[in-house]
Amino acid sequence: MLAYLVKRLGASLLTALLATFLVFVFVRMVPGDVVAQMMGQAGSDRAEEALRAFFGLDQPVWMQYFAWLGDVLRGDFGVSWTRGMPVTEMVGEAFLVTLELGLLTLALATIVGVPLGIIAGIYEGRALDTTIQAFNILGLAAPVFWVGLMILVGVSATFSWSPPLRFQGPTEDLSENLAMLLLPILSLGFLQAAAYSQFVRQSVVSAMHEDYVRTAIAKGMPTRTVFFKHILRNVAIPIVTFMGLILIQILGGVVIIESLFALPGLGRLLLSAIETRDYPIVQGALLVVVVVAMVVNLVVDLVYHLLDPRLRIS
Amino acid sequence: MTKTFDLTRWRHATGAAVTAVALALAAPAFAQDLYGPIPDDPNMGGTLNMGLLVEPPGLDPFHQAADARIQMTVLMYQGLFYEGADGEAMPLLAESYEVSDDGLTYTFKLREGVTFHDGSEMTAEDVAYSYDYIRDPENGSPGAGDFEIISNIEVVDDYTVRFTLSAPNASLPMTLGNKYGAVIPAGYFDDENAQNRMNSQSVGTGPFQLVEFNPNSNLMMERFDGYWEGNAPYLDAINFSFLPNSASMLVALRNDRIDLVNLSRPQDVQQIEGIEGIEIERFPSLNQKAIDLGAEQEALSDVRVRQAISLATDKQELMEAAIGGYGEVIGTMTKAMEERWGVPIDELPMQGVDVEQARALLEEAGYGDGLELTLTTINGYDWMDPAAVTLKEQLGEIGIDLDIQRVDLGVWIDNFRSRNMGLTFNDWASQPDPNLLFYRHFHQQPEGADFRNWNNEEASALLDEGRAATDYDERRAIYADFQMELAETVPTIMLFSADHVVVHDADVENYVQHPTGWLYGLVRTYLDDAE
Repeated sequence: MLAYLVKRLGASLLTALLATFLVFVFVRMVPGDVVAQMMGQAGSDRAEEALRAFFGLDQPVWMQYFAWLGDVLRGDFGVSWTRGMPVTEMVGEAFLVTLELGLLTLALATIVGVPLGIIAGIYEGRALDTTIQAFNILGLAAPVFWVGLMILVGVSATFSWSPPLRFQGPTEDLSENLAMLLLPILSLGFLQAAAYSQFVRQSVVSAMHEDYVRTAIAKGMPTRTVFFKHILRNVAIPIVTFMGLILIQILGGVVIIESLFALPGLGRLLLSAIETRDYPIVQGALLVVVVVAMVVNLVVDLVYHLLDPRLRIS
Repeated sequence: MTKTFDLTRWRHATGAAVTAVALALAAPAFAQDLYGPIPDDPNMGGTLNMGLLVEPPGLDPFHQAADARIQMTVLMYQGLFYEGADGEAMPLLAESYEVSDDGLTYTFKLREGVTFHDGSEMTAEDVAYSYDYIRDPENGSPGAGDFEIISNIEVVDDYTVRFTLSAPNASLPMTLGNKYGAVIPAGYFDDENAQNRMNSQSVGTGPFQLVEFNPNSNLMMERFDGYWEGNAPYLDAINFSFLPNSASMLVALRNDRIDLVNLSRPQDVQQIEGIEGIEIERFPSLNQKAIDLGAEQEALSDVRVRQAISLATDKQELMEAAIGGYGEVIGTMTKAMEERWGVPIDELPMQGVDVEQARALLEEAGYGDGLELTLTTINGYDWMDPAAVTLKEQLGEIGIDLDIQRVDLGVWIDNFRSRNMGLTFNDWASQPDPNLLFYRHFHQQPEGADFRNWNNEEASALLDEGRAATDYDERRAIYADFQMELAETVPTIMLFSADHVVVHDADVENYVQHPTGWLYGLVRTYLDDAE
């Protein structure tokens, strides 16, 4: 088990290193750097050179990369080039916003999506299944910005209410915090619940057609026992895996929702940093995304092994 | 003889009697107040919520050129002069000034009793430090180029400072305005972390000071109690929320989360027209949308081709397509500047559509069988897409086939600055002064940047003369000649100027939008329902 963990962690580290390097190079290939942006259409060449040297942009890219990597290994992620705030502080705060949004969305998607999927699977082919599938298909097909906008405009028109604009953390002011997150969670949660439900339904349907289920029913086992002991147990594994996937998907895809609802999350921070060519923030934020994706994958893998005795590592 | 310009003619909030005699500047008489009209009896207090679509990348007036930065920092920082809405520089931290006969020495008398946000008092030493800092190119300010003409700054006494120029420059006062730099305490940038600190703490002399600036969320300013000017400002605080899309902005406006917002897209304005409790006002702007014609391209190097394009362009139709009716067609200058510095559009050559003549000019230039050109537009500039399609149709009439190419802003700026722009739409603005508007863009290299490779000797000579002349009438005549040449030989076609459309709650009183788009007007704004 330990050897497995070490191997996994080693592989993750290499992937992270490769990812940071690619990000580092690619973000510098986009035309126009932070200095060009600060200068706009004005600015003399001498002032521009001075500023470029200030940011270290006059060095070759590989030297910039190793300087950055060295700092990161010492725990120094630098400061934002436009804001002057430490990258750890800015990325950390934004990440907490996105994490809260992600976890609450995941909770909603699970609470709604899993039961719907199981019910649809059990009632395969009947009216209830068809209704739930209609919901699923709508959720899967609708683009997230459209759903978000409809919810925002709909709530505004019906209740003459819209979310507050200044984000406050749950420890600062819980009711304001939730008021701001409510609509984004509903928008994202609707889509993810649909995806989740559709996935669970498929798993349940295929489990119900397994020989062992038919055998269990044939030998007169009570339906409830069949369901809990044979179906749910087998379906549990993909459900957990899918939960990890959904979390990664939410964390990676919140840019649009964060922009629509003015949430100061990681997606929006990343987007604005790319727009202003604030490289330290881009690198820091993407590193967090990569690491989170890896950790979630690792946790899912471990849980997977725990749930399925056949995969247990000796 | 030394000319004395007294600049204290404007109404002063404290009502202090102004006795000095004004001479020289025979400018059209505009009754205008600093920052906007001063209300008789404003309500004091309250917090105004303003929505902004674009967030400033930072708040450092010395190192950030972004317009989103300037529009906010003008509330917290001040230069020696204020950019009067009609194109006249008005005193801010300066009180009056004298110019030597050769136009090379400016002696500024400073306002007394001005306090910085850190509580210290402003003196001539701070003024000298601030402008010395920005004009040194090693300090990396985008504004450094504007201040190159200053060769020396000398402190005469606590409230007098003398600027020496390398050549006469009549737009010095306007340059000492609020676009780049500001007066800050001497030695501020000695601290390594000083640039960064500007995003958490303001150090200017302006009416508002910074409270907090949260990335992708909001910026809060509060009234600076030590502000020098009477009882202004009237608001206790302003909270700016950054909402990156206009749909959420409109929803927030309807639900009272936002009291005031500046909208630019006609389709957004139309959505809220007629809603009770919400008022829409239009103000002229210094923004100009243009077609630029880079002469580095063979076809565009022929003046007849450029003239033909100008004569085939229907500005009114382009404006209707691009921004609905929310703007005004212009000749060579925006409406906000035209009265003081411009030539009326009907007196300029190459205006109005004349397809026959345009065809003849193309024929003469050897393109009678047609010509293919690429028009560049910029991603994210909404108005350019409908305008490009319309222009394609208009130029099609004279046998020019336009290929429309969209590029990212970064790419566009690179092309522009390397003088390789070709045929493109442009969207820009300047301070309301003809030298600041034209010199850098249109003077031959190396003095100017001549982005469009116009390389026009006659026009460059006029720009030099206009810059050196100090008499208003003389300057006006020189710039009129320049604008005739600009219209005649077409390095650019100024199309129209989009109005600032301000949408606000009925409780918001006395907000006047400055033509630059900067938020000066908030200094004079008050709330009806203020406690």
